[in-house]
Amino acid sequence: MRLFLDRLYAGAFALGAGCLGLIALLVLAQIAGRLIDRVLIWAGLPVLGLAIPSIAEIGAFLFVSAVFLAMAGTLRTGGHVRVTLAAQRLPEGAARGLGVAVIAVALALGLWATWNAIGMVRDSLRFGDVSYGMIPIPLAVPQGVMAAGLALFCVALVDEGWAVLRGRTPAYRAAEAASEVAGDAGERGD
Amino acid sequence: MEIATLAPILLAVLFACLVAGLWVGFALLAVGLVAMTLATSAPAGMVFATKVWGSMTVWDLTALPMFIWMGEILFRSRLASDMFAGLSPLTRRLPGGLLHVNVMGCALFAAVSGSSAATTATVGRMTVPELTRRGYDPRIAIGSLAGSGTFGFLIPPSIILIVYGAATEQSIARLFLAGIGPGLMLAIMFSGYIAIWALRHPDRVPAPEPPLPMAERMRAVGLLAPTVGLIVAVIGSIYLGIASPTEAAVIGVLGAGLLAARGGGLSWQGLAQTLSAATVTTCMIAFILAGASFLTVAMGYTGIPRALASGIAAMDLPAPALLAALMVLFIVLGMVLDGISIVVLTVSIILPMVEAAGIDPIWFGIYLVLVVEMSQITPPVGFNLFVLQRLTGRSIFRIAGFAAPFFALLVAATAILTLFPEIALWLPTTMLNR
Repeated sequence: MRLFLDRLYAGAFALGAGCLGLIALLVLAQIAGRLIDRVLIWAGLPVLGLAIPSIAEIGAFLFVSAVFLAMAGTLRTGGHVRVTLAAQRLPEGAARGLGVAVIAVALALGLWATWNAIGMVRDSLRFGDVSYGMIPIPLAVPQGVMAAGLALFCVALVDEGWAVLRGRTPAYRAAEAASEVAGDAGERGD
Repeated sequence: MEIATLAPILLAVLFACLVAGLWVGFALLAVGLVAMTLATSAPAGMVFATKVWGSMTVWDLTALPMFIWMGEILFRSRLASDMFAGLSPLTRRLPGGLLHVNVMGCALFAAVSGSSAATTATVGRMTVPELTRRGYDPRIAIGSLAGSGTFGFLIPPSIILIVYGAATEQSIARLFLAGIGPGLMLAIMFSGYIAIWALRHPDRVPAPEPPLPMAERMRAVGLLAPTVGLIVAVIGSIYLGIASPTEAAVIGVLGAGLLAARGGGLSWQGLAQTLSAATVTTCMIAFILAGASFLTVAMGYTGIPRALASGIAAMDLPAPALLAALMVLFIVLGMVLDGISIVVLTVSIILPMVEAAGIDPIWFGIYLVLVVEMSQITPPVGFNLFVLQRLTGRSIFRIAGFAAPFFALLVAATAILTLFPEIALWLPTTMLNR
């Protein structure tokens, strides 16, 4: 189970990172197409007009997909910001209670967000909404990725909450503490 | 519900969520949800989904991960180790000598990095031991670093300005250009202060070192030229209207990758690591932006921003008084929150008020960055102070004391910028459009 979940988070995160890489490649191709046309104009030849159709829309969809697919992985690496002052100063038992409460509130909000994202996908499917650009993309596809990413985020929160309840250190807290310690060691090393 | 009862409830919810350690994105969602439940019968869930979807599917936002990625690659390149070697031969003859490496190094690093804490840590790790070893007074060595760690955020490409632009629907290209003038002005003010201080306290700086032969100096310039050239090319192409911010950023990623690969420092695996780090940072910022976009709509339903705006308009407060009051508010917020969270949290409430007072939103973005960065060097909680505390082992109050003259310079710069808004607003007007 542990291995399965870790692979799931890592897989979704890698897909998200891949979406960002794909944006870079598409934009590079677009720029290359424009440069080729400039050269052709300069040489007096007819332009090829190479361009990625609907790149603005596709890029924006890839951005949303990247963000939501990476949510769970970012949580576990301690990437999401929060104020840790109270958690650091409380005695261990109280800090754990607070940790459970925080995760419970986060999970409630996360489930609410997931539920409504799924509702949006259902509406898009029902009305057959597609994007406005030259390539009509069913909106349900990127919206579905958003909903799936949020759902995985909720799974990760349950995972972390379960760890805290069993008296273990949740992954995000371990990562936060590790970066605090690593910063110390690195700077003292100089 | 009356605004007079609603506003304190929302503030209390926000404060409780943040202090308890709820992730900032969720805290913004929570406040938005409470606001909508209490203030309106509109369906909060549907508003949430459509608003977050709408605010995230914006082409300009793709510039954000690309600039972050470019910074990650440059951070792992030899830039950090080349910086001291490259800058010190150029500054050793100035009054104040190598202290200027702090100012220039931070300007250089801030241009490629998204976080003031990272900039302060990277530059400080290089300069603090070196400056102390050569006999510079630690007070000015640490103080100038604390100050310089802050101003670079005006120098594009600035992540915090992209976030402001996305949250307020302002042109990112114009915001970038507006940041250049004030950023350079601050660099000159900091360097000028260091020079005057060094001339007045010759006993606290080491004797000037002998000038280096021309060949040495050229070699030093050669170390820095590729990175500086890349940054100039990226910003220049935006200025000339050749490239959109995203396109310029992607060219920056390619250029940074080539620079890092040339030094033999970047494998495919290393590239994947930079992409993964950029994904984490992007996801973190986007989560906060998503929460803020929902909060902005929710606040619109409550009518609080409108009431504040008309209240300010009715008070007929002169703009400088409003800005001074806001400065105090932001510095207080900066005691507990990071810069990006402050920006997204406040613009939803404060921007209508600012526009009602007749203040240009582009100019306000620059002002906001300045003031937010000021808050990073004020005790008891300032992120740059924490970094320097770890770096030097001195208490944050001592460090804040060392940084106080530079804090005063930041306040002075804000005042100058208020009196002469053209310092920020002139350059964008000269931008060539496609």
